[in-house]
Amino acid sequence: MQWLWENRDLVFGLTLEHVRLSIVPIIVGFIACIPLGWLANRYRMTRAIQLTLFGILFTIPSLALFVTLPSVLGTKILNPINVVVALTIYAIAIMVRGAADAFDSVSRDVIQSATAVGFSSISRFWTVEFPLAGPVLLANLRVVSVTTVSLLSVGALVGNGALGYLFINGYQRDFPTEVMIGIVFTLLIAIAFDQALVGIGRLLMPWTRRSKTVARVAAPVAGGV
Amino acid sequence: MLFVAAILFIFDPENLLGDKGILPRLVDHLLYTGLSLGAALLVGIPIGLLIGHTGKGKNVVIALTGSFRALPTFGLLLFIILFTGLGLWPLVFVLAVLAIPPIIAGAYSGLDSVSRETIDAARSIGMTEWQILGKVEIPLALPLILGGVRSATLQIIATATIAGYVGLTGLGRFLIEGLAYHDYTIAFAGAILVAGLALAADGVLALLQKLVVPHGVSRGSARTTTKSKRRSIPSAMTRAPITEG
Amino acid sequence: MQSPTVKRITAGFVAIGLTASLAACASGDPLGGDGEVDLGTITVGSQGFAESDILAQLYGQVLAAGGYTVNYSPSIGSRETFIPALQDGSIDLIPDYSGNLLYGADPEATATSSGDVMEALPKALEPLGLAVSSAALAEDADALVVTKEFAAENELVTIGDLAPIASTITIGANTEFEGRSYGRAGLESVYGVKGWKFKAIDDYGGPGTLSDLLSNNIQVADIYTTTPSIKQNGLVVLEDPESLIAAQNIVPLFNEKVYSVNFANLVDKVSNKLTTEELMSLNEISAGDSKPSPEKVATDWLTKMGLL
Repeated sequence: MQWLWENRDLVFGLTLEHVRLSIVPIIVGFIACIPLGWLANRYRMTRAIQLTLFGILFTIPSLALFVTLPSVLGTKILNPINVVVALTIYAIAIMVRGAADAFDSVSRDVIQSATAVGFSSISRFWTVEFPLAGPVLLANLRVVSVTTVSLLSVGALVGNGALGYLFINGYQRDFPTEVMIGIVFTLLIAIAFDQALVGIGRLLMPWTRRSKTVARVAAPVAGGV
Repeated sequence: MLFVAAILFIFDPENLLGDKGILPRLVDHLLYTGLSLGAALLVGIPIGLLIGHTGKGKNVVIALTGSFRALPTFGLLLFIILFTGLGLWPLVFVLAVLAIPPIIAGAYSGLDSVSRETIDAARSIGMTEWQILGKVEIPLALPLILGGVRSATLQIIATATIAGYVGLTGLGRFLIEGLAYHDYTIAFAGAILVAGLALAADGVLALLQKLVVPHGVSRGSARTTTKSKRRSIPSAMTRAPITEG
Repeated sequence: MQSPTVKRITAGFVAIGLTASLAACASGDPLGGDGEVDLGTITVGSQGFAESDILAQLYGQVLAAGGYTVNYSPSIGSRETFIPALQDGSIDLIPDYSGNLLYGADPEATATSSGDVMEALPKALEPLGLAVSSAALAEDADALVVTKEFAAENELVTIGDLAPIASTITIGANTEFEGRSYGRAGLESVYGVKGWKFKAIDDYGGPGTLSDLLSNNIQVADIYTTTPSIKQNGLVVLEDPESLIAAQNIVPLFNEKVYSVNFANLVDKVSNKLTTEELMSLNEISAGDSKPSPEKVATDWLTKMGLL
């Protein structure tokens, strides 16, 4: 499309910004969920607390978090960190639930055998439980990835939406093409991230290449628009 | 503190009624949710049941619905409005699109979780396909199907806040007003209201989920199928019933 | 014992972690000018509609040509949001509209003409730590707009003519319209127009507002005077003889910390050449078939005017 060609700098710049802003929540969400999920799995009480807390947090619509976080965090209003923190909260919320279930799904027998063989608790976690929980963690991470990329565009309403700018600008100028391009590029990023995650998964968990185990993602995705 | 101010706002009787009141907006919000959920159910349940029961077309449908999930709802809504003008139906359409993937996933994985032996047994005693579906598969799958509905409902309630940006009402108006006037109290109040509504709806559906588990089916049945079934349910968005304790 | 799996996982983490920190660190760097004396960085904001984006580019590009490093922060939102943003340094400069700015800074203000407004502004802005430079000749004001048919049917010429039918109409505008001095309060006190319904359409008089007006879902809309759609659809701007809506000259609003004579001179270069007709044509180009970006529209005009 000609408009795309003429405005490629704008679109490309926004795409880069979109990638930049959405990567951090995904990674932080993943890293944070491991200890939290392990805690939730190990100690039933913390599980209830965590699930309730995060359950509440992500029923708050993303727009609400974007608008109110500056007052809570004390950050500057237009600082992209507000959007990143909000998206990270959602990422953690989804991942914690998924991680808890992922660790839950590791068969008790396997854990007991590992202990019997002589693994210490920590060593057992990293060499047995974590890898076995991998597929479910990955499935949840893919959901987090798609959600983050999509929700980021709503940040345009607070001046920090990366590709979401194309939605608002295109809408304001009565120019569906621009809006569509924003949608397409957002989709492209979502697909790229998804494929990357699948690739990383195959790399780190080669044993899953053959059998496609059921990866149950036990997390409703709210967070709204 | 912000939270306190927001709570006070919500319980201030002046804010409950009238053009910008909490109650009318709550009702509208429920209306948008109901319509979108209804539309999504109308489309999603049959498709989910179909691919669950026959096991065919699974990959195509899953891939399609997966990409639905990646669609930025906000952008899609604005795009459609440029063609249709403002109105209720673009919103309902977009929210339904958002809700269909979890509903299909729930229906599909619900049926998937019913063991083949049970179905074969039903077939062998002479049940027709429809009878199997109605008397065996669906009742056994209900918890998971409802899990999908629950997930869809949560998403719709939270996303319906966007209605406030495109000339409609609903609880999202508090967010947009908070944004326009840079009034954190109103925005926070809106956030609390939507979160509250979502939690309430989730609670009701969770209760329903527990109630529809048929006699003789343990609550943990959905979970055990995670290990015993080898079919792939990529990025299934069902909410497994959380078995507490 | 370090199994290959653990090594693999650790490697994966390290890789992801490095990528993440690289990505996170590569913040939106200012486009570095090279070699020349760098006068510092200016972040120019815009309000969220096409004209504001264009104005931001106009001021920004002139500043960049004058030696500043310029960043842009688009679609910030209403004045209630960008004033705190100016104050906390998130942005340094934003194009605004003199009348609305005055009443936003000082609700007790009374000035309505261009000159009076500009005279009152510096004092009103001082407690906020903000300042303005010269106003442009160009004006773009909120306007209450109706279709030709509706105006004819109800014999509407001025805003005051809405008073008899006020309770039957719906006015469509951005959310903040209601709270403005020319919103509920002003319409009632100045023109006796009250009891009307309000429909919040947050597109700054854009396509949603227009389509609702044309389909009679709303009877009156707030569409800004330089918006091409007014002419294109033969819409009628209701006259404002009591000056409920003050003069709205384009004016660069900035945090007084960035003020310097050089700075003011640069932005004044734009303001001095920008007339209402020029601004309207810029809007028309932006809304035209090829939908050029605000950046391009600005660059073309600045080049034409010899300012770049």
